[in-house]
Amino acid sequence: MSLHFFAGPWLAPKHLLWMWQGFLTTLWLSLLVAFFATLLGVVLASARASTVQPLRQAATLYTSLFRNTPLLVQLLFWYFGLPSLFPDGTMDWLNGDHVFHLLGPLSLRWPSFEFLSAWCGLVCYSTAYIGEEIRSGLRGVPAGQALAGAAIGMTRLQVLRHIVLPQAIRLILPSLLGQYMNIIKNTSLTMGIGLAELSYASRQVESETFLAFQAFGVATVLYIAAIALLEALGQAHLRARRVRQGRA
Amino acid sequence: MQLAVIVDNLPYLLWGNYPEGPLGGAALTVLLSAGSAILSALLGLALGVLLAIGQGSWHRLLVVVIGFLRAIPVLMLIFWTYFLLPIAFGIDVPGVLSVMLALSLVSGAYLAHAVAAGISGISAGQWQAGLSLGLPRWQVLHHIILPQALQIMLPSFVNQWVTLVKDSSLAYIVGVGELSFVAAQVNSRLMVYPAEVFLLVGLLYFLMCSGLEQFALWVGRHFSADRRAAQRQVPQATVSLTASQA
Repeated sequence: MSLHFFAGPWLAPKHLLWMWQGFLTTLWLSLLVAFFATLLGVVLASARASTVQPLRQAATLYTSLFRNTPLLVQLLFWYFGLPSLFPDGTMDWLNGDHVFHLLGPLSLRWPSFEFLSAWCGLVCYSTAYIGEEIRSGLRGVPAGQALAGAAIGMTRLQVLRHIVLPQAIRLILPSLLGQYMNIIKNTSLTMGIGLAELSYASRQVESETFLAFQAFGVATVLYIAAIALLEALGQAHLRARRVRQGRA
Repeated sequence: MQLAVIVDNLPYLLWGNYPEGPLGGAALTVLLSAGSAILSALLGLALGVLLAIGQGSWHRLLVVVIGFLRAIPVLMLIFWTYFLLPIAFGIDVPGVLSVMLALSLVSGAYLAHAVAAGISGISAGQWQAGLSLGLPRWQVLHHIILPQALQIMLPSFVNQWVTLVKDSSLAYIVGVGELSFVAAQVNSRLMVYPAEVFLLVGLLYFLMCSGLEQFALWVGRHFSADRRAAQRQVPQATVSLTASQA
């Protein structure tokens, strides 16, 4: 095994900056996806537990469709396929530059179409997984809890919102955290549709400098750092909860 | 929807230019996933056994390596094997093989935990029974523990196969001509039917994955029925085992 490529020159600041910007895109995308996929995951899990049969069947079909096809193909569909179904002019607007002015100096810039389709694809995909985790959490809450809620006159929605869901979330927090880690890892696939996130940046640096070891090394370390941070947050939360329960 | 155009391209999507050219499309996806499934099953079994019975600093190192493989995106590992194997060993590794290697490593790491959990799920009495018969540890593992643990683990193996079929689509990014890659090719050749092309490809993947999922469910039912039947005949099974060892 020749070792010469380990000892090559280090990456230039310009290239390290590309990687850092890619990493920020990865984190921002993961955050937006995790937030919306959790919200929709609750909706999906409630639909799967619904008493309305067509709703239940639709939710089951959704879960099966999105879990049994590759994320990359879904992303390719959202990026290449969907625009062809839009009416004329929609794409021009989506690709355009819009700035939304918020309070004072704060303004929101309209994201690129790559970012939009990456977000949309990842939310749809992750919802199917998070929905299943939440569903198993809902099942883990004893039925007596829901019955007690119903007995004091709460509607089904109120029972879900105030009694079952808070307990279920606590049950599934570890596996939910695992899903968030999967989201961070899955954002790497969005380079397939040209989003300049971390994997894309590492590939770009590699093809410009031929320093494959350094480029992929930096990207790998950044991914591990993000995953390790989530893991540490989870551990800290569990410890805090144990302390609270110990006092109680 | 222009069905005729899609139908014209179906053979290319299914098996590429075979037999005139290299095999590609869905056939290559199946081959790639099957190869990774076999490799990762062997790897997962070996690492899982080490994880379950190992001790000391080697065991800690193994935990770290498995943790590393599970923490990085599959795509990163594909980059490592695809771009660095040829440089590191000075040989030309075909893209399919480097993707297969990356998929096997990741999936082996996931299976290792399933195998370790399966082994520790077998009650300690089974170990003690084997050891008191005078069997060496690895024979207890081979004849008593693994046959029972494998039944528990089988569903997670099949689930991992579904993941492999889906993850084999990542070969697209390094230009291996499997189903996703030929789909993108067909799409850029036709230009006008992107939605139809990717829906069809999604359907092909769906058929493969949900077929495997149904198989997993069937296997799960089959084995849990078997296990219940086997548990009723435990004394008999123990007798036949001692007889075969004598």
